[in-house]
Amino acid sequence: MENDVVLWIVVATALAFDFTNGFHDTANAVATSISTRAMAPRVAVTMAAILNFVGAFLSLQVAATIAKGIVNPEDITLLVVFAGLIGAIFWNLLTWYFGLPSSSSHALIGGVVGSTFAAAGSSAINGTGIVDKVIIPGLMAPVLAFVVAGIGILLIYRIVARLRPSTVSRSFRLGQIITGSLFSLSHGTNDAQKTMGILFLAMVANGNLSPDDDIPTWIVVSAATAIALGTYVGGWRIIKTMGSRILKMDPAQGFAAQGGGAAVILTASHAGFPLSTTQVISGAIMGAGAAKRVSAVRWGVAGNIVVAWVLTLPAAAAVGALTYGVVSFFGDGAAGPIVVSVALLIALAVALGRRVATGQTLTAEG
Amino acid sequence: MAIASVDGGLLFQVVWTSLLAGVFVTVLFSLVVVFSSRSAEARRGARRGSGVAYAALAIASMALFALAVGYGVHIMLSKG
Repeated sequence: MENDVVLWIVVATALAFDFTNGFHDTANAVATSISTRAMAPRVAVTMAAILNFVGAFLSLQVAATIAKGIVNPEDITLLVVFAGLIGAIFWNLLTWYFGLPSSSSHALIGGVVGSTFAAAGSSAINGTGIVDKVIIPGLMAPVLAFVVAGIGILLIYRIVARLRPSTVSRSFRLGQIITGSLFSLSHGTNDAQKTMGILFLAMVANGNLSPDDDIPTWIVVSAATAIALGTYVGGWRIIKTMGSRILKMDPAQGFAAQGGGAAVILTASHAGFPLSTTQVISGAIMGAGAAKRVSAVRWGVAGNIVVAWVLTLPAAAAVGALTYGVVSFFGDGAAGPIVVSVALLIALAVALGRRVATGQTLTAEG
Repeated sequence: MAIASVDGGLLFQVVWTSLLAGVFVTVLFSLVVVFSSRSAEARRGARRGSGVAYAALAIASMALFALAVGYGVHIMLSKG
């Protein structure tokens, strides 16, 4: 009975992470389209939410384990998963608050690494796995996307040089609707799977399912719904950073960033080397801007984003480890997760209450 | 102990195929824009033959672009 309580707290926390994942990553698909007026903001996030929802059903190749190859699977318990999720949610909310795009996958890996470290020590952590799955992709994604989008926009400007600017803008706005849709669908097929994997593993760890079972429909529907709702609510602070604070872009630059970014993500995925959507689109936006004029990119904002990327894993790990320390203080039962969950809900309610009292909302488009 | 175990060949493959795919997609759509515009101009100038030829090129470029997008969706659906 007590294990079931922990299980359902983990399920709720995983869905909360899924919501923040959608909320945090809305910008990846819609920021450039909104910035170049290819789509109205509410239309863009609605389309992204629908495609994220659909994407979650299209591919059910659920991630086999959380942080596979990075932590020892035998050391993963429900409490470790809970603490890891809290670390990831914390980092997603913090970076949203500062309007900084960062990888939700890396935050989740960081959270689980931290909680596993606190639970089982350094022997449970595979450093090579961290280098392979976080550091190398983290270095490669933005640089590759920067170069691809940079070359792309130079070619575009050369090819359409003799056309009327109004024709060029109108045409590339249409192109952005296609590439933005591709991004949203890709996000749904990738990121909702992570939550499905967490929920499935939690059910297996608790003895409710066996590893050979098919993934239950309620897991697919709840993960798809959580990521779609998060996407619909939209992390407007990050949308603003990506859409206009890094670079004031024209529709051709927006298309080069989204088209080049989508090509990088899908090609890397096809080669079995998944890259962070957030890091790819951020690098692509910078590349599309710098290729036209280096000074067009606000390098101070870009620098802040890179700092957030560097801090993602250690910060989420630190919170994951701290959370595990707190929950394990209350023993192996449900008391720890209940205390932490209630404390976090109260903190969130207070923060939201303050924002409402001061007239600010979470979804302000400005 | 090795610091990383990622295959260098795989990384190189990701780099060149990404570059190729990114350039392919952006160039194709740019050609759609150029040929569509030229076709419209030719029709306005009563140059029927050129208009049809440019329209055919625009359709061919759009078909290739759609094929590339379709292949991207196929990759999403077939990933393991």
